[in-house]
Amino acid sequence: MMNIIFLILAHWLIVLTLAPLFVGVITKVKAFFAGKKGPSVFQPFFDLQRLFQKNSVYSRTTTWVFRGAPIVNLAAVLLLSLMIPLGPFKAPLQFSGDILLAVYILSLARFFMIIAALDTGSSFEGMGASREAFFSCLCELALFMNFITLSLVSHSISLSTMIGADTSLSWNLIGPALLLVAGSFFLVILAENNRIPIDDPDTHLELTMIHEVMILDHSGVDLGFMLYAAAIKLFIFAGILVPIILSIHAGNPIVDMLIFLGGMLGASMAVGIVESTMARLKLNRVKNLLLIAVAVAFFGFVVKMWKG
Amino acid sequence: MERFFQLPWQVPFGEFSLKIDSLSLMFLMAIFILVFCAGVYAVGYMREYQGRRPMGLHIFFYILFSLALVFVVLANNVILFLGAWEMMSISSYFLIVFHDEKPSVRRAGFLFLVASHCGTFLLFLMFFLMAHNGGSMNFDLISHTSFSSGLAGVVFLLAIIGFGVKAGFIPVHIWLPHAHPAAPSHISAVLSGVMIKMGIYGICRVLWILGVLPDWCGYVLLMIGVVSGVMGVLYALGQHELKKLLAYHSIENIGIIALGLGLGLLGESHHMPYLTVLGFGGALLHVLNHSIFKGLLFLGAGAVIQKTHTGEIDQMGGLAKRMPVVSILFLIGAVSICGLPLFNGFISEFIIYFGLFKGLASLPLLGAFGCGLGIIALGLMGSLALACFAKVYGTVFLGQPRSPSAVEPWGKTSSWMIVPMLVLGALCLWIGLFPRRMASLAFLGGGYLSHTDLSSLNMGIIFIPLSFIISALILFIALMVGLFGMRRIFLKGLIPSVRETWGCGFSQSSARIQYTSSSFARLIVELVKSVLLFKREGGEVRDLFPAKIKLTSSIQDASEKFFFRPLFDRLTSLSKKLDIHSIRYTQMYLMYIFLYLIFLLVWKMK
Amino acid sequence: MTSWVDVICIIVVFLSLVILSNSRVTAMIRVFALQSFVLGLLPFFLHISGMSGRVVMISLVTIILKAGLVPYILFWAIRHVSMRTEIKPILGFGTSIILGAIVIAGAFWVSLSLKLPGKPVSDLILPCSLSTVLLGFMIMVTRTRAVTQVLGYLILENGIFLFAISLFDEMPALIEMGVLLDIFVAVFIMAIVVNHINEEFEKNTVSVGRSKMGETF
Repeated sequence: MMNIIFLILAHWLIVLTLAPLFVGVITKVKAFFAGKKGPSVFQPFFDLQRLFQKNSVYSRTTTWVFRGAPIVNLAAVLLLSLMIPLGPFKAPLQFSGDILLAVYILSLARFFMIIAALDTGSSFEGMGASREAFFSCLCELALFMNFITLSLVSHSISLSTMIGADTSLSWNLIGPALLLVAGSFFLVILAENNRIPIDDPDTHLELTMIHEVMILDHSGVDLGFMLYAAAIKLFIFAGILVPIILSIHAGNPIVDMLIFLGGMLGASMAVGIVESTMARLKLNRVKNLLLIAVAVAFFGFVVKMWKG
Repeated sequence: MERFFQLPWQVPFGEFSLKIDSLSLMFLMAIFILVFCAGVYAVGYMREYQGRRPMGLHIFFYILFSLALVFVVLANNVILFLGAWEMMSISSYFLIVFHDEKPSVRRAGFLFLVASHCGTFLLFLMFFLMAHNGGSMNFDLISHTSFSSGLAGVVFLLAIIGFGVKAGFIPVHIWLPHAHPAAPSHISAVLSGVMIKMGIYGICRVLWILGVLPDWCGYVLLMIGVVSGVMGVLYALGQHELKKLLAYHSIENIGIIALGLGLGLLGESHHMPYLTVLGFGGALLHVLNHSIFKGLLFLGAGAVIQKTHTGEIDQMGGLAKRMPVVSILFLIGAVSICGLPLFNGFISEFIIYFGLFKGLASLPLLGAFGCGLGIIALGLMGSLALACFAKVYGTVFLGQPRSPSAVEPWGKTSSWMIVPMLVLGALCLWIGLFPRRMASLAFLGGGYLSHTDLSSLNMGIIFIPLSFIISALILFIALMVGLFGMRRIFLKGLIPSVRETWGCGFSQSSARIQYTSSSFARLIVELVKSVLLFKREGGEVRDLFPAKIKLTSSIQDASEKFFFRPLFDRLTSLSKKLDIHSIRYTQMYLMYIFLYLIFLLVWKMK
Repeated sequence: MTSWVDVICIIVVFLSLVILSNSRVTAMIRVFALQSFVLGLLPFFLHISGMSGRVVMISLVTIILKAGLVPYILFWAIRHVSMRTEIKPILGFGTSIILGAIVIAGAFWVSLSLKLPGKPVSDLILPCSLSTVLLGFMIMVTRTRAVTQVLGYLILENGIFLFAISLFDEMPALIEMGVLLDIFVAVFIMAIVVNHINEEFEKNTVSVGRSKMGETF
């Protein structure tokens, strides 16, 4: 029991401290590509601190849904963080079928974000909400396809087992299938977390945003919660991909932690590089990209079935 | 678990034999809960019609309808079953056409009657085949005889189509989207929540009687589940009338139930009892869950429609501020139907998913593909349903009122209407957080249906994950409470200011530039526009300074447009030709009786 | 990693899928060049144990011809065409991708019943080459412009190349040269035809010629 509580607290500590740092590294990489010095990697912390101290402005049209959505969002990603292993720390919440809880708790958060956006009665938020609802359908399709392949490879339906030791050993046997899964999952990471080429997290033109425009009207503490939740979600998604690719497991907890941190650093740099070298796609091309992610995931499933 | 009850009855071939067993238990619970709640709700809902319409007739048919539902589930004899089935169809017809001054209601009722009887005709055929093979009209006795593989297949297909008409499988679902908006809201609730499930009950009972089925039956049910589910929710996305949208969602959930039943059949034919129990159990639990949250949604829709006098979503808006309790309860129903955690929809979908993943891992190639397809379809249905209900909730309850009908003053919603909704909402939450009771009952029913002995199985494989889910959800609630407290602390001493919504500096915004239901769903609908027969007319900007532009978009139900409407038109023209104009009606019927007498005489003389 | 051959097969099919979903001709030609380059590396990895000068030469020739010369000719052929970007195919792009995925699954399913004599280096070669051939066919059939149709044919050739080069240990250079000549001829003819149509319409008014070319290409 104490063990579980210790693991839970360790998970939350890691996630709450490292997630904004992850975002900071991405911003730094983008600045490097642009030839600028860029803000410090700790800038997201300062932003959050500033937001938590500010007062809030609420729209007349909004109801409790608007005020409650950031809470649901942050609580959902904090729960999600307990379902993945972080370095040497095992996931405190793991059971057969936990991927379904993971996917659906994220959907719950997404549902509340969408209706909070519609709550403001503004057409900008409606635009973001509509696009988010659409793209999430395609993302979930790719996600489920990937999970099917991973569950076949790891013979289990628990997230920790799927990305754990057995899977990394399977690179020797079913490398191509895992390669396709990793590729498709990377695209899903970009799509779910509103990164280029699907969405631009830095633009402030409402007509081109998806996630940014949904949180347009939030301010102060609410905005802080939303941004924190977005950062943690990105961190968790990367934390799912990294163990699949990095198949090294030393017995030593310190070495494991260093390997994990190195992997996450590499993932953040990869995201930063992709963001710097690509432009945001035209909106009707985004669905093609997501369909390619689905097709690649399906291809991975076919290859896995072929290999036995 | 089964109990019998018998009464003497003079009808030839028939016996008044009732049986209650673990299978009928789930359906009976759904019937009792929903009929009671809808009945209490109706007291408040129908108040405005008192004195203007024959209320007594309505109440009479409601009681008849409830009795018929109970007898359908309890009947242990073919004649009793068919009699109760007919009584159910006819009494529900009279309940649907309550507003018979509107031609659309009359048409919907007629369509319902025709479709119902088409299905019942097939059921007559099917029961005849079964009774002939079994040598008796008693369900128990028939179930003890064995069926040849070919006969079982034919009976199965007749059951799928015959009961499928009532259940709402695509493509024989066409009466559903017309009947639900036409009926008063509490009747829609009972139709969607219970009567459709009678179709499912019929299929389950036939499966129980047949026992062993050929392998392909599971795949057929799986495919029907996938198609009905995905098509149902896609059609729902394109709707802008509240009750029609909810009707299409019922079709989607019937697809989920069929998916579970298909999985159970696959488990039976491959001799994997875990798959069987998980599939059937999940389907039965979803039957109960869907009755509860669909009933809640329809009752909520009725409350909204009663005040705004319109069913069009795009005329509403901002109702959460004026009907706070209804909006929260409707939100509970919406979150449940999307299968999101904390409420009961997630639990039954989780059980079906679990079974499908197990099937993916253990079934041979074709079965594994089928399970994979099922998982993908369930995931797709979930995300599309989320989009649809976000659209509904956001357009109806949130934002600003879009038309005068949402702004006019009205009185409080009657408590007679609120309390049943509270009960249903509480049930959603209870099953969502403490599912063990209901899940065990569902698994008992599933085991009974498939003649599996549950004591030999370790049900821990599903109950352990469920208990983890419960603890995770309690932690989630604790997290939300904690974060709420933190927000309070952060905002301590500060008074948030209230302004207009940020419109990017545009000061002349009106409520009409908000997103409507069709604009929200546009992206998804246009992705599949060839499937949904999406049509868009107008909206082209021709001149330099256009003053007024009209744009309409619509989707059409493909099975209705391409198959049934032409069929019905042809049948109507054919039957008109059979009308011999010179003979009057009385003589025509006398002639029919005369011909029948001659037929009987000739037949008996042989 | 299991074997680089597996990875190359997968990449080839993936790139065919990318070309199928793309709408810009320049991007499609570049991706085709990448695909040919990856294919050119295949002889290296196949004969990683028994390397010989012949293998190296085949690799180099393939890369130079298919990843260098053919794309260059294609770029040269479309240099006059103004509308290089928007193509309206017979199937929408979303439908193409979904159909492409189904075609790949179908190719794998068909390969289940095809038994090869001898033991190939990797068992993914047959289904992947069949997928590439079918995807190339799909591109040819569903596009309306000549350049993209030729590209589809070239992808089909890539698929056949993938099959041929992996399954015959003693790669008869004759077959390989024949395949490359095939491609060359097709591209050359297309380039000449395009050029002639170019010149023919250039003689008339420029705008009329442009729009007519736009329609064909």
